[in-house]
Amino acid sequence: MTTTTVTRTAARVVDAVKVYGTGDTSVRALDGVSVDFSVGRFTAIMGPSGSGKSTLMHCAAGLDTLTSGTAHIGDTELSSLDDRRLTLLRRDRVGFVFQAFNLVPTLTVAENIRLPLDLAGGKGDPEWIDALIDVVGLRDRLHHRPSELSGGQQQRVAVARAFAGRPDVVFADEPTGNLDSRSGEEVLGLLGRTVRQTARTVVMVTHDPVAAAHADEVVFLADGRLVDRMDSPTADKVLDRMKAFEVHS
Amino acid sequence: MTVMNASVRLSVSSLRAHKRRFAGTFLAVFLGVAFLAGTLVMGDTLRASFDTMFGNATSGTDAVVRSADAITTPGESEGVREPVDTDLVNTIEKVPGVAAAAPSIQGAGQLVGRNGDPIGGQGPPTLAGNWITDPELNAYRLAEGHAPQKSGEVVIDRGTAERGDLNIGDTTTLRTPDPVEVTIVGLATFGGEDGMAQVTFTGMTQADAEKYLTAGPGEAASIQVRAGPGVSQQELVDALTPVLPRGVEAITGQESAQENTDMISSQFLTVFTTLLLVFSGVALLVATFSIHNTFAIVVAQRTRENALLRALGASRRQVTASTLVEATAVAVTASVAGLAGGIGVAAGLQALFPAIGFPFPEGDLAISALSMALPLAVGIVVCLGSALLPAARAGRTAPLAALRETAVDTSGASRLRAVTGLGLLALAIGVTLSGVLFSPSLWLAGTGAVLALAAFVVLGPVASTTAVRILGGPLDRLRGVTGGLARRNALRSPKRTAATASALMIGVAVVSLFTVFGASLKATMDQTVSRSFAGDVAVSTPSFGAGGSGLSPRLADEVQRLPEVDTAVGLGRGVAEVDGKGRALTVTDPVALERTFDLGNVQGSLRDLGTDGIAITEKEADKQNVTTGDRTQLTFTDGQKQTFTVRAVYGQSELAGDYVITRDAWAPHRTQDADTVLAVSFKDGVSTDAGKAAVEKAAAQYGNLEVQTRDEYAQSSAGGIDMMLTLVYALLALAVLIALLGIANTLTLAIHERTRELGLLRAVGQTRSQLRAMVRWESVLVAAFGTVGGLALGAFLGWVLVKASDGASDSAFAFAMPPLQLAVVALVGLTAGALAGLRPARRAARLDVLRAIATE
Repeated sequence: MTTTTVTRTAARVVDAVKVYGTGDTSVRALDGVSVDFSVGRFTAIMGPSGSGKSTLMHCAAGLDTLTSGTAHIGDTELSSLDDRRLTLLRRDRVGFVFQAFNLVPTLTVAENIRLPLDLAGGKGDPEWIDALIDVVGLRDRLHHRPSELSGGQQQRVAVARAFAGRPDVVFADEPTGNLDSRSGEEVLGLLGRTVRQTARTVVMVTHDPVAAAHADEVVFLADGRLVDRMDSPTADKVLDRMKAFEVHS
Repeated sequence: MTVMNASVRLSVSSLRAHKRRFAGTFLAVFLGVAFLAGTLVMGDTLRASFDTMFGNATSGTDAVVRSADAITTPGESEGVREPVDTDLVNTIEKVPGVAAAAPSIQGAGQLVGRNGDPIGGQGPPTLAGNWITDPELNAYRLAEGHAPQKSGEVVIDRGTAERGDLNIGDTTTLRTPDPVEVTIVGLATFGGEDGMAQVTFTGMTQADAEKYLTAGPGEAASIQVRAGPGVSQQELVDALTPVLPRGVEAITGQESAQENTDMISSQFLTVFTTLLLVFSGVALLVATFSIHNTFAIVVAQRTRENALLRALGASRRQVTASTLVEATAVAVTASVAGLAGGIGVAAGLQALFPAIGFPFPEGDLAISALSMALPLAVGIVVCLGSALLPAARAGRTAPLAALRETAVDTSGASRLRAVTGLGLLALAIGVTLSGVLFSPSLWLAGTGAVLALAAFVVLGPVASTTAVRILGGPLDRLRGVTGGLARRNALRSPKRTAATASALMIGVAVVSLFTVFGASLKATMDQTVSRSFAGDVAVSTPSFGAGGSGLSPRLADEVQRLPEVDTAVGLGRGVAEVDGKGRALTVTDPVALERTFDLGNVQGSLRDLGTDGIAITEKEADKQNVTTGDRTQLTFTDGQKQTFTVRAVYGQSELAGDYVITRDAWAPHRTQDADTVLAVSFKDGVSTDAGKAAVEKAAAQYGNLEVQTRDEYAQSSAGGIDMMLTLVYALLALAVLIALLGIANTLTLAIHERTRELGLLRAVGQTRSQLRAMVRWESVLVAAFGTVGGLALGAFLGWVLVKASDGASDSAFAFAMPPLQLAVVALVGLTAGALAGLRPARRAARLDVLRAIATE
């Protein structure tokens, strides 16, 4: 599959290889993956467990390093950065939503949203954060602690936190994995709306075809390789593709 | 059996898996036990070696003949005895079974070293005596040179010679206290050692000794007797007793040696070892908190594991037992290691002490069963006792807890705790205040102090939330989100924060207590000098300890003749029994005394005491129910009783003493003359510098005495306190170290609990240095809580101790709060907190972000 239009990329990996362990016990989690994540797009990474989708996300986001190949956030090549610069890059240019345990329990909702900005010691953009709070619909919960929120609410706070610093790209790792379907739907809708309304970029790892259907594009991984891409996915199309895929393998 | 086996298996595997968690507990028990064992071994060793030393030194002496009665003044362990007649030697030598007898003259004589400074005199006695020519009867053995043969020749012990850099052939000054020029002709050893601990000894010819050390010729402190072949010590004593005059007794050589050992023990060893034992007690108390905390956290962290065990069918007892077995394993290994460490400590001290000029004889360490069994038992009891509650809690784990997410006890203080704590505090304050203000009693005050400590510990969790919030308030502004996170982390588990801080609190409280008490003692001395010393300069002998030879009474006369001087008054010391109790007398010129010292309100007159008049302080007069014009009887060491008329009653006594008589009245009963202090006031118009220079010149001939201005005099009185405080601080460093280990341990365990949270923080952009700062600040906050609590408790207890001492004793105590020293204590506490956080912070920063996020 080729892209004919030239778009700016928010993040990309080129010939990414990731090997865990050595010798007989070594595992090739990524086996030469190249993929671009364009600015303003919501991309889902799908694949069966063990396909390397989480590894791809971790390496693209600068949480993990590649064995060979390169990973870029915007124009910055990640392998040349030391731990401190990587941390600053994550803080300033990348947002994260994890499956669970997204919030610092001692901080209030408002403080959790501002956490990356506070760590940077900057003010950020108050209007933007104010707008975000409305988008995620948590204005009346700002001074609550995470333990006083439902799982869905917690994930919405995490989404707001991820976008607070206007990052180049937000990585979401199974953000709905721990939620009931209604809460999950809310969080996915939120991610999609934010991308479209504010021209942000989101890369989401999921194994759920319904979740993937919220994305603009789905990339399929299997055995550490990129096997397919699909534009304008629907849950049925994704499910069919996955089934076909299982038959093949 | 199977029950225990399962528990033991669980414990062993758990210990193996979590070695690091118990490192802190192990160290706390190890240090406490090592200190305790080291103290006991050292005490035993010192006592044993003194026994051997005296045994060796006096093995040739089979009996000692001396006066039966001794007059002992309060605060002294050795009484003053009437001298015996040296002619008695002739009588004794005729007794069948006696091989030899020799008089032993003993007095004070302080040698001046090569550099001009006097040797010793900071506590241990500086002895001088006649060199007994019969080597069997002489406790000292000639090692080099020869015995003194003519006037001015002396033998000194080798230890003293080394300290003063003196050699055979050297000429130096011996203060008796009149300066005597002496030539060293021989060096001696005592019981195989270079000297008897730090005691200095100078042996003179018998004629010299009689001339300089006794009131008159023909007097000796005792007569040493050696038995002929086949005569036992007891047989010798039995043979001697019938020929001795009334009031003179014979004791065996063994008894005499035992008395000497006991005296050294009570003067030095007991005080020293008691002090050390108290500090090992403090260290172990602090350790208790650290250990309890570790087990509490470990049990909390293992809630899910324990719940799973319970769900799988483990009984409550099995779960409790497995925790206890774990505690036992740690307790036993740490205590046994502590015993080895203790022996190492004692060996280290043995090597170290001589280097700092402290006596610690060479030879094998005396390791008794008790000094091993006691620390072992204490270590195990402390460790197991501390683990008991957490173990019981582990047993109570509900099987359902396995399903719950959080394992950390974040519950705040219960109402019951607050009520109990406040009740205890009120009781403590009540008891203390009544012990201080209403019916002064150290016992009552002490009970109050213990109650106050308990109240602080109980109230810790209640106070920790508020305290950390206040103490950490500035952190948010100063350190931004890092500081804010640190503060909130410290607030997470009030009980844990309080328990961690309690250990440091106790350490800091004891440090502050001593700081306040020391400052108060200094202030007391300062106040004493400024209130009752009206002179310009003073020449004094060390007030802390009894060593030194004192000042020559002739010095006062000589200084008095200086043109700059208005009044010079020397204060001599005499001893007599008044009202059946040994009392120190001030022997002086009462008229000059009144001019140089403020005696307060004087009834009667000190002008005409004569040879039968006495002046008494109001306090003593009240006690004996006498007033001016009444008579009182004094019994002197020579056995004579004399009736004195009370001619004056005066108000203040701190420097002048409670009883004043004239030199003339004392003269018939005198022993070796010496003044303890010379007070000088200058004529009008004489500057302190000029006057001081003149006095210094006069004093120079008396063996380099130090002339002090009023301020210097006050400060020198306090010098000993600084020395004591330094020692105390050094010992308390151990308790503080254990407390810090506790903080570090708690933090490490807390970080383990927060792995995922730390991973999240790192993922969203917390740099490593921010993470380290966060952990360090948490540590500082916990330490700050402990330090502030300790300072408050210590200052309060210091006040209690000073006030209770003031009320319970005769002398007046001043209370002083030393802000600078306490600020230093606070700073040390905080710095220590930051240090304790270093390692946990580094460990936390090393966390791998991905693995932290993945941790279940």
